[in-house]
Amino acid sequence: MDERFRAAFDSVHAEPELKAAARAAVARRARRRQSPARPLRLALATAACAAVVVLGGGWLYLTPTAHISIDVNPSLELGVNRFDRVASVEGWNDDGTALAQTVDVKNLTYTDAVETILQSEPITALVAQDAVVEIGVIGDDDTRCARILAGVESCTESHRNTHCYQAATGEVEAAHDCGLSYGKYRAYLELAALDPTVTPEEVQGMTMREIRDRIAALSGGTATAESAAGAPAETPAPTPSVPYYGYGYGCEDGEENGYGHHGAGHHGDD
Amino acid sequence: MRSEEEVNRAVEQYADTVRRICLVHLKNYADTEDIFQTVFVKYLLHNAPFASSEHERAWIIRVTINACRDLLRSVFRRRTVSLEEVAELPAPAQEHREVLRAVQGLPTAYRDVVYLHYYEGYTAPEIAGILGKNVNTIYTRLTRARGLLREALGGEVDG
Repeated sequence: MDERFRAAFDSVHAEPELKAAARAAVARRARRRQSPARPLRLALATAACAAVVVLGGGWLYLTPTAHISIDVNPSLELGVNRFDRVASVEGWNDDGTALAQTVDVKNLTYTDAVETILQSEPITALVAQDAVVEIGVIGDDDTRCARILAGVESCTESHRNTHCYQAATGEVEAAHDCGLSYGKYRAYLELAALDPTVTPEEVQGMTMREIRDRIAALSGGTATAESAAGAPAETPAPTPSVPYYGYGYGCEDGEENGYGHHGAGHHGDD
Repeated sequence: MRSEEEVNRAVEQYADTVRRICLVHLKNYADTEDIFQTVFVKYLLHNAPFASSEHERAWIIRVTINACRDLLRSVFRRRTVSLEEVAELPAPAQEHREVLRAVQGLPTAYRDVVYLHYYEGYTAPEIAGILGKNVNTIYTRLTRARGLLREALGGEVDG
């Protein structure tokens, strides 16, 4: 029986076509392995993928999708990326540039950044002198800006004379064209409506308190007197002649003058 | 990676062995062609040296058997096979055809042990090493396969 098996399997031979196909497959594979272009192509493809990931990720991280404008006299703007972290810090006057250099808020969440800035020595000193702090959230995504605004408000609840508002990006470009941060530009427009001789350059060096006091004085308000007495000032209602921007200035329900206002005196007055 | 010359030498030396194992397991020529390419490309890429020609032969057998099993398991292979393909056997003589059909008719697990023992001349422990099975399992399979072949072919099947 062994012989029958042996004879039967001995009669089986590989067809020449099978051998030829195997040799051809081996040759193809050998060429692919030996091709010097292959590792180069692989390396290039890997490098391209890595570049896309790094550049794409970097672009996503570094591109601000909303801005937070903080104006006291130091005027600075924080660029907030889509991950709610501060991607850029820019001073819009000398004080603002100096402040931007002293506080390290890059890569912090915007709430931490705002708190850090409000608790910084220059700002606390100014607030102690009854300075007005205006914080604006600027961006094109209303829902996101509203969420950021709520976060900013929660940071400013315990701070006196702090006003919060929301605005659209298009409005900010005009402010930047004048060399002003948006908060100061908005105050400048109010002041310019009452005193057409005022210039953006003049406003750039004024504190928000000075601008507000001047607006109050020109419109017959009493902010200057209150400020001089050391009491928290009520922010005057914007005059109708000032071009108000679509999103309103308010950040608290029921604000008749359209301003969000976190001032100790203000809450006491309510 | 081995040289093409080395692989061509192996193709000449082991093509018949690979063909016979394919015949035991597969029922059509296209699959056999696939296995040929798989086995010899693996040989091309196999860098480890062989201790002897016997070691090399055992490696070729093991790789071929595994490739056949993988192919049979593959979902892509689950397709209709024509009767002509099923009947395809390269053996010319009727008596050889009868023996080969009897081996092909065995349960899959028995075919390798029958081929390796009766044709390649491996012992049960050697077959256990090649297939990665227990030696007793090989003995059991050989005994059962012998009984089935006796039924199919009649007469004595030597141990």
